[in-house]
Amino acid sequence: MRVRTAALLVLLALLAGCVASPPERVRLTVLADSDLADVGPLLDELRRETGVELALEYVDDPDVELASGRYRHDAAWPVTDRYLHLREKADGRGNALPTSTTVMSSPLVVGVRPAVAARLGATPSWADIADRAAAGELRFGMADPTGSGSGLAALVGVATAAAGTGGALTSEQVSCVALGGFLAGHVLRPRTSAELISQFTARQDEVDAVVEHESTLLALNASGHLREPLEIIYPRDGMVLSSYPLILLDPARRDGYLRAVAWLRGEHAQRWIMDNTARRAANPSLERPQRLRTPIGNALYFPDSQGVLDALLAVYRRLSSGTHQVVFVLDYSASMAGPRVERLRSAFAALSGSGTGGFARFHVGETITVLRFAGTVLEQREVTVTGQSDVDSLAAVVGAPADGRGTAVWSALEQAYRSVRGDASVVLMTDGENNAGISAAEFLGAGKRPVPTYAIGLGEADQAELGEVARSTGGRAVETTEASLESAVREIRGCR
Amino acid sequence: MGQGRARNRRGSGTISPGGVAEPEFTVVEPPRSIFRRKRFLGVFVPAGLIAVAGAIALFAGGVMALPLREVVVVNGRLASKAEFFADAEVRRILMAQGIQVSLDLAGSRDIAVNSTDGYDFVFPSGRPAALLIKQRLAQSGHRQPKMYKPFFSPIVLASYREYAEVLADPATGPVVTPQNTTGPRLYYDMPMDRFVDVVERGTTWDRLAAPNRVLPNSNRVLAQTSDLCSSNSSATYLGLVAFVANGNVIPQTEADAIALARKVKPLLTAQGLPAEDMAGGYLAPDGQGLAPIAVIYEHQYLAHQLRTLERTGRVDDRRVLLYPAAQVQTVPEFLALTPAGDRLGELIMTNPDLRRRALELGFRVFEADGSVTTGQFAEFLTAHGLPVPSSGISDTETFLPSLPLLEKMIAEIGECG
Repeated sequence: MRVRTAALLVLLALLAGCVASPPERVRLTVLADSDLADVGPLLDELRRETGVELALEYVDDPDVELASGRYRHDAAWPVTDRYLHLREKADGRGNALPTSTTVMSSPLVVGVRPAVAARLGATPSWADIADRAAAGELRFGMADPTGSGSGLAALVGVATAAAGTGGALTSEQVSCVALGGFLAGHVLRPRTSAELISQFTARQDEVDAVVEHESTLLALNASGHLREPLEIIYPRDGMVLSSYPLILLDPARRDGYLRAVAWLRGEHAQRWIMDNTARRAANPSLERPQRLRTPIGNALYFPDSQGVLDALLAVYRRLSSGTHQVVFVLDYSASMAGPRVERLRSAFAALSGSGTGGFARFHVGETITVLRFAGTVLEQREVTVTGQSDVDSLAAVVGAPADGRGTAVWSALEQAYRSVRGDASVVLMTDGENNAGISAAEFLGAGKRPVPTYAIGLGEADQAELGEVARSTGGRAVETTEASLESAVREIRGCR
Repeated sequence: MGQGRARNRRGSGTISPGGVAEPEFTVVEPPRSIFRRKRFLGVFVPAGLIAVAGAIALFAGGVMALPLREVVVVNGRLASKAEFFADAEVRRILMAQGIQVSLDLAGSRDIAVNSTDGYDFVFPSGRPAALLIKQRLAQSGHRQPKMYKPFFSPIVLASYREYAEVLADPATGPVVTPQNTTGPRLYYDMPMDRFVDVVERGTTWDRLAAPNRVLPNSNRVLAQTSDLCSSNSSATYLGLVAFVANGNVIPQTEADAIALARKVKPLLTAQGLPAEDMAGGYLAPDGQGLAPIAVIYEHQYLAHQLRTLERTGRVDDRRVLLYPAAQVQTVPEFLALTPAGDRLGELIMTNPDLRRRALELGFRVFEADGSVTTGQFAEFLTAHGLPVPSSGISDTETFLPSLPLLEKMIAEIGECG
C-alpha cells in the first residue's frame, strides 16, 4: 500500500475547485523516551507545518518495550537504537532492521563540581575519575544501568575504557574489567535521567559529579538550580554518543514518517533543537551555537553483541551489591628477590594510589587479603579499605624481603581459600615449581572452589599446572615476564 | 475545471466522467488500499461524492488526466544514492518533467534481501545487491527490471589530515602516500596490504609511532564501515580486505570463502556495533572523533567539498581521502520495476540537466561513448577549484568473489541470520 500523497493532494485541490489545500493530516503514535519531553513545542510546529502529528507517549525506558516486541506504536523515539539492533540481531532479524533516522545527538559525559574538577587536572580520563572514586574522593550520580538505556551506555563507555584495548568490548574481556573502583563512587543510581538530576540538585554539596548527556548537563547548568555550574568533562579515553533516532515501526505509516523526518532534519528544526534542547544537530552543515562547539573527543567502539551487555550488567549487579574481596597469594621465596619482587611492590604501590592506579586501584569498601608464602605461609594480612591508611598498611607486607625457602604453591592457595568470604577472587603469583606442601593433584582433589583463581606465572613456574588449576576454579592463568608483571597484575586484578 | 481525460496504459480503457479534456496527470499503479482508510474518505467527502466516484474510477484505471502538467509520484528504495534524488535541484528538474520521487532509505543489501513490492524502482549502491534482486525477481516470475547505469563512484577511505599525515610518515610504513595534485593536498594512495597490516597488529592510534605527531586517540586503528549485513560499501570493503589477506586471490570454493571470512572477521568486527550513517558521522563537525577513517563513496566526500566551496569559497582541507590502490569502481544499477520507474530511469540517463547535476553532486558520469574515462569529471572538478584525484579506472569489482560466495562471507562475518 503506497499512498501517492502529493498526487492525491493535487487531485483534491482540483476537485475542490482549485483552492489551496493543507497537506494530509497524519497522526503517528510514538513510543518515546521521557528524556525527549523537551521537544514538545517543536512537535506542535511540525504538526502545523506538515500536517503530521507525532503523538509521543513517554516512557522511562522504551528499550524494554521495543525489545519485547509488544509495542503497538507507529514509531519509536528512544535515546539510542543500539539495544534494539542488538536484540534484533540476536533474534536473527539483522537483515530487516526498521528504518531509523538520526535526529540529533549528545555525548554521555561527566559534569563535575569545579573544585573537584581542579583536582582531576587537565583533560581527565575515565581512568582518572575511577581512580578518584576508588580513593573515596569523588562521589557521583549515574542512572542505573539495569533500568536505564543511558545508564547502560555510560557503563559500556566506562567498561570499554577500563578494558583499554582500543577495540569494542568482547565477552572474553568483560569478566575482567576493573569497575569496582569506579562504582565505589556511584552513590546516586536512580532509574531515570530526570530523577538523577533532581537527586543531584538536592545533594549538590555532597555529591561531586554526575554522568549524563551533555545536553542534560548544559540544561542543568542553565536552570539556575545549582549553586555553581558544573564543569563538563569530555573524557580523554572516549565517550559514547546517543543519536536519538526516530524509528519507523509500522511500515504502513511510512509516508507520514518520511514527512516528519524530512522536516525534523531541516534547517529550522535543527536550529531549534540546538537552541532549545542543547543537543547537537544531525545536519552537518549548520553552524553551532557556542556552547555546542566543544570537541566531544573520540567515540568508543560499542560492543556488537547482546551477550556482552548481559555479562556487563551481571558484573555491575555484583559490584553494586555486597562486599568484594581480592586475595593475593604471593610467592616470596628467594628466587623472587631482586627485580621480580621490586616489580611486584611497584605494582602494589600503583594499585594503592601512588601515582594513578586508574581503574585497577584498591577501592573503598573492598577487602584486600595478602598472603605471602615460600615453603610455608609466611604472613597473612587483611584490610577492608575505608581510607588511604588501610591501603598504605599493605606496603609493609609486600615490602618484606623475599628470602623464604621452598615453594608451597598449593598449600598456600588452599589456605587462601579458607579466608574467602562471599564475592571474591584469588590472584596467585609464583615464579617457581611447587616443591613443598600438597601437590596440585591433592588441591584439585579437594573439591570444587567457590571463587575463581587467576594465576600469574613467571620464571620457572609450571605454566601447565597453573593453567589446569586456575581453569578448574573457573579462572585462568597468564604467563608473564618481569617487565610486564605490573600490567599482568592490573589485567587480572579485576577478574571475577 | 474538472476537465481531463483518462488513459489507461494497461490497456483496459477507463472512461472518465463528465467532459474531460487533456491527458496530463498520470498516476501509475492504483493505490487501492487508501480508499479503505477512514481518514482519507473523511477528507474527500467535502469535495463531493460524485467527484470521489470519478476519482476512484480514474485511479483504478491507473492514470489520471488533469490540465497543468503531469505529476507522477515514483516510489524508490535506495541507499547512498538517495543523496542524488534528495537534492533540491534534482527534485526541481524532475518536477519540471512531472516526476516526484518518494524515497525510502535502506542499506543496499537490505533492499536486496527484502521485498521490492510496491516500489517503482530500487537503486542499491553496488552490483552484488543488484544481482541478488534480479535473481529474486526472476525466481518469483516478476517482470525483469530494466537496468540503467547513470553514474558511478568509487569506494574510498575518508579520513582527516592529522590521521593521514601520521599514516604518511615514513615511521609508520608509510601506509599512505600523497597524490601529486595541484592545489590543496586532499588525496592519498593507500596500498591495502599496508593498511591491513596495521589493522592486524591491533595497535591504537596514539601508539602509532610518528615523530612529533601523537594522535590523541586510544581507539584501535581501523576503517569504520556501516553494517555489513545491510550495506554495499562495507561488503566492498570486506572484499578488499579479504582479497589482500588471501594473497590477492579470490576464493573459489565455499570452504575457501568461509575459511577466509573467519580469518578476516576480527579485522572487520573490532569496530563493534557499526554506525548507521557512515558518511553522516564522518562529515559531522565532530566527525574526527566519531570516524577518523570511514568507508564511504567518493561522491559523498566530493559533494561535501563542492557544498563547502559554494558556501565559504574554500575547500575543507581538514578532510582527506585515502584511495585503496586496488581500484574499486562501484557501478550502481538503477533497476526499474514499473513503467514509472522506466521513465525515471530514461530521464536520469538522458536529461542533460540531471547529468550536469550528477557531476555537481560528486558523481562520475559515463562519457557519451559509454566509456568510464574521467574527462567530464576532471574538467568539472578543475573548473570548480578542486584537485582531481588520480584514481585509475579498472574493471568493476574484480576482487570480489562470486555472489554466492560473497553472500556466505557476509553472513559468516556479520552473523546476519
